[in-house]
Amino acid sequence: MIDQTRRTFLGQTGLSVGSAALASLLSDQANAAPLNSLPHFAAKAKRVIFLCMSGGPSHLETFDYKTQLDKLNGKAMPTSFTEGQPIAQLQGQKLKVQGHLTKFNKYGQSGQVISDFLPHIAKLADDIAIVRSMVTEQINHDPAHTFMNTGTAISGRPSMGSWITYGLGSETQDLPGFVVLTSVGGRNPQPIASRQWSAGFLPSRHQGVEFNSAGDPVHYVSNPKGISSAQQSALVEAIKKLDRKRNKLVVNPEIDTRIAAYEMAFRMQTSVPGLMDISTEPQRVLDLYGAKPGDGSYASNCLLARRLAERGVRFIQLYHRGWDHHGGLEKYMGICCGLTDRPTWALLTDLKERGMLEDTLVIWGGEFGRTPMFQGKGGAGRDHHIKGFSMWMAGGGVKGGTSYGETDELGYNAVKDVVHVRDLHATMLHQLGLQHDRFSYPFQGLDMKLTGVEKAKVIKGILS
Amino acid sequence: MLKNSFLFLALVQISWAEKHIDFNTDIRPILSDKCFFCHGPDSHEREADLRLDIPDGKDGAFSDLGGYAAIVPGKSEDSEFILRINDKDDPMPPEKSHKSLKPAEIKLLTRWIAEGAKYSAPWAYTPPVKNSVPKIDQTDWPENWIDRFVLHKLGTEGLKPSPDADPITLIRRLYFDLTGLPPTPQEVDAFVSGKKSLEKVVDELLASPHFGERMAMYWLDLVRYADTVGYHGDQDHNISPYRDYVIRAFNKNLPFDQFTREQLAGDLLKNPGKWQKVASGYNRLLQTTHEGGLQKKEYDAIYAADRVRNVSAVWMGATVGCAQCHDHKYDPYTIKDHYAMAAFFSDLHDTGFDGNSLPTSRPPEMKFYSDEDETKFARIEEEMGALIGGEEVLNTLKKDAEIAKLKANKKRKPADDKKLAQLEKSFEQIVSSSKKDKWAKLLTEKKAIEKGGRWTMITSAKPHRKMRILPRGNWQDDSGPVVTAAVPEFLGKVSTAKHATRLDLANWLTDPKNGSGGLTARVFANRFWYLYFGSGISRSLSDFGGQGEPPSNGPLLDNLAVAFYESGWDVKALVRLLVTSRAYRQSSLCPPELMERDPYNQLFARQSRYRLPAEVIRDNALALSQLLIDDLGGSSAKPYQPTGYYRHLNFPTRKYKHHTDPKQWRRGVYVHWQRQFLHPMLKAMDAPSREECTAERPRSNTPTAALVLLNDPTFIEAARALAYRIMKEGDAATNSRLDFAYQLVLSRLPDDEEHAVITGLLKTTYEDYQKNPKSAETVLGVGQAPKPGDVDATELASWTAVARALLNLNETITRN
Repeated sequence: MIDQTRRTFLGQTGLSVGSAALASLLSDQANAAPLNSLPHFAAKAKRVIFLCMSGGPSHLETFDYKTQLDKLNGKAMPTSFTEGQPIAQLQGQKLKVQGHLTKFNKYGQSGQVISDFLPHIAKLADDIAIVRSMVTEQINHDPAHTFMNTGTAISGRPSMGSWITYGLGSETQDLPGFVVLTSVGGRNPQPIASRQWSAGFLPSRHQGVEFNSAGDPVHYVSNPKGISSAQQSALVEAIKKLDRKRNKLVVNPEIDTRIAAYEMAFRMQTSVPGLMDISTEPQRVLDLYGAKPGDGSYASNCLLARRLAERGVRFIQLYHRGWDHHGGLEKYMGICCGLTDRPTWALLTDLKERGMLEDTLVIWGGEFGRTPMFQGKGGAGRDHHIKGFSMWMAGGGVKGGTSYGETDELGYNAVKDVVHVRDLHATMLHQLGLQHDRFSYPFQGLDMKLTGVEKAKVIKGILS
Repeated sequence: MLKNSFLFLALVQISWAEKHIDFNTDIRPILSDKCFFCHGPDSHEREADLRLDIPDGKDGAFSDLGGYAAIVPGKSEDSEFILRINDKDDPMPPEKSHKSLKPAEIKLLTRWIAEGAKYSAPWAYTPPVKNSVPKIDQTDWPENWIDRFVLHKLGTEGLKPSPDADPITLIRRLYFDLTGLPPTPQEVDAFVSGKKSLEKVVDELLASPHFGERMAMYWLDLVRYADTVGYHGDQDHNISPYRDYVIRAFNKNLPFDQFTREQLAGDLLKNPGKWQKVASGYNRLLQTTHEGGLQKKEYDAIYAADRVRNVSAVWMGATVGCAQCHDHKYDPYTIKDHYAMAAFFSDLHDTGFDGNSLPTSRPPEMKFYSDEDETKFARIEEEMGALIGGEEVLNTLKKDAEIAKLKANKKRKPADDKKLAQLEKSFEQIVSSSKKDKWAKLLTEKKAIEKGGRWTMITSAKPHRKMRILPRGNWQDDSGPVVTAAVPEFLGKVSTAKHATRLDLANWLTDPKNGSGGLTARVFANRFWYLYFGSGISRSLSDFGGQGEPPSNGPLLDNLAVAFYESGWDVKALVRLLVTSRAYRQSSLCPPELMERDPYNQLFARQSRYRLPAEVIRDNALALSQLLIDDLGGSSAKPYQPTGYYRHLNFPTRKYKHHTDPKQWRRGVYVHWQRQFLHPMLKAMDAPSREECTAERPRSNTPTAALVLLNDPTFIEAARALAYRIMKEGDAATNSRLDFAYQLVLSRLPDDEEHAVITGLLKTTYEDYQKNPKSAETVLGVGQAPKPGDVDATELASWTAVARALLNLNETITRN
């Protein structure tokens, strides 16, 4: 234990070890334990499942209904909205209003307005808090994702999952604390960089680990071809014995850590394939999600998210990559919602049934929204939009049935109770018992924070 | 035990407090961290018109605030500063800043004021001066003047240097540090037996072409060299000749100032040669995008800021990038300095980046041929000239090409036919039928070489784009004043009548007299020290500002810096000086007392031990197995990689194809560097994505890394090739094979206990494979190295397990 502590001490010489980081040296298990002083206060949520709808789903076809938008359908977009504003693919083009491409209804006792594309999520109207006044700062996918995950568009900063496992540790000894799963379906998917789950300047053990639905679930987690488990076990034992023997001579705490790493690696070789094998779930559960073992679908990933949550993984991030609807929006929304609506509902329902939703914070949303203006790359669509879009949260102390914030009459600018990405981060941290402006790490002489230097606020209005 | 060690550290801190107070070491770090945010260089955030970073001037700490002052030198009790930091009801720093001062810090600040509140200029921005070499008692220890500084420092701290490392450890250290490759048993023998002196070994290693490769690993991290654009589609771009340039420059010992000039401004030199143009690719190494819907103006701003961040981090150890939106919070860099530095690069026009081809085209680019290829071209043209006698070779080649083009055109018009006939006639007059075959042969040869040419991005100056200060970094805000190229104001000026150029900047960066050459020399002396001692003399390798850590041995660092530029920026001389010191030779073993006393090895009472860099772990396995192809330079290599690893890439979608030829076994420095999805092996071993400058890699020790060494096919293949060597070269008996294996991998013999463990593993594995001979065949089929037919498969598979064990040992992957 002491040795491990020393190891961390030495292992981090590359980083400025500030007081917060120093506190981690006192922890029993460097991999699993929270920082000494954390959480700052009692947490409402123990873990987060972030459902990242990559590409930027249209708020105007999901949660944000505007009568005026339909009225002006096909007319020129009033320049009072667009003049001097950042614009992506519609640069230099004539801008006209695109009315809603679907219908909306009120659902639940709360009467939340949700579109026909999401019949299953609609059933959760009283469980989710919809924020309709999100804003971000980046208009292209790659930097916008980076912004959503790290709070800045500059590369090399830690993602939120890394921040959280750094602060709170993991509750599992057999799995990483931060796991990423991806699925496709919809319009030609946006690329996504491993930067999105990078630990940045935080210790690299807090990096997100991507679990793959095909091939090795985790890179190199399977035994090499022609090597049996018994042989692998004998090998790992021999390595440990030889390292231990050497350590008597050189007394290097790093070697103890290494032996522990080999032990965990070997445990992962068994636990990960078991975890990923959802065929052991009852048929009833598979049906609930619409998951087929081994298909790599969003549905299977939702089920895996629950299994990861059960096993103590702290931050689970699911990407569905098909929401970039510059054209053919109706068609592609049909596909994307068809693939994600029911499984999302199933996940929340399953968590609820197991009593896990109350301490699991679920967040749904893309890196930005879409323009009220028409774009026509293969049928009506919409361009990227950052001045107003929608996201929702549920569980983990969030007040279900809440509608929060508004955009203007055309769904362009967030105008009421504006929520910046950093406010979303602050709220997420708050539910985990972390005070965003006190949660920092020293890097390049600055106390870096997930929420950055600008003032961020917790969205109290959606909390119970 | 642990708590004790912390208590101990605390005690150490208190004992410092009794010593002489040095502003830069003891006071500035506290003020910088706790006070400068509101009372520092940034004029926009400044509260109460008070600066604590400077004593004098209108806003300075000593200035009269109307009958009182923040700091009254010698009188802490009259200093408002002291009153406020002790004010329980309304303390400074305010509670909401979460920056409260510790009692020990308050005590120290109080004492500093009581003793006269002496300020000194920031250490890094005071040019280094040569200090006299300290007198020491233990005169039999030093090998060179470095050692006198180290020993003197240890003396003042009540410490003694560690004994010399044993010669085996030392020779391994030298090989890994200078070439990144392991010594052969023969090379170990020559040194251990005393046949070859340390100086001789060092000379040989510095002359080895692998020295350049080892240095390039570090340099490429600094300048963020990668094979792909980084943003969005992360397409491949053409840049690998730049890597060859870096390797070549270190091997040729190009003076560091020239190295700097060629990279920043190779295109602006007089009659730039091929290598200088390639070097100017430095300016093109940043991340770029091809994303549809990008706003050009926005990306102009992003690229400008990226270049400022890199050039300032690499050469100045400065975070000028922090001044993109506002004046720097801790250092005297203003927002104007940031944009004025960006203006040096405003003659680069990042345009024409469209389309999603692989590799993508990012003009300006040039076709690059290796020096050997160019020699061949010259010879071929000479032979052609001799063949056709007197006629111009180039014109003839042109004619030949035109003929070929016309012939290939299936839809020739009559006019074309006529032209073709004319050309053929004129061609035959020069290359008569008797000469035709020879000509064709030479031409084929020429074309084959041309096919191997590589494109590479270069810099070519265009008229300077207008550069404005962007208020709060907002690229849409045109209200800021226009700036022209200039170096940070507080560091001086580049004197030129015209718009200052990148060449002016490069000259300024390496001019110790009229520029910031002293700073540059100090930044690099510190980094070279880090490369050979495991930790910098100042621990912050890329932040020499107020928030960085001052050097633990300032005079030593200064003298190294001065020695560096006075030698004419001779890199190899500096490296030689460092690795032939006695300090370098010390053992890296660390008794608990020393660990508690100096956990970060800041005093250098020992050498450091740490895991080898990612590339070297690969190189070591390949070298030991003799799979390594040690060609110098060339295009990037693609080792085995998990299937589907690039599935998230798009525009276009990517299918990774590992090399099926010997390029598979090239050194780590040549591995294809995909920024968004760096090879999982490199990533697991802490190689950076190279999106930003990395001066120091973290050193992690994770289960992911264990899985790589255990299961990555590269290491399985290396293990079986190594096993084959052990069987063939280690005689027939298990004992002699084991001895051979240990000497090869660890440069030593196994002891009884190790012997027992390994033979146990060998036995159980062998028994297992005897039962499952097919599995033995399977494991020998991993990788593309040919399966040897002259040894028993079961035995070879079992020795493969032994080789895997050896490649996984901590000792194997550790630089001691």
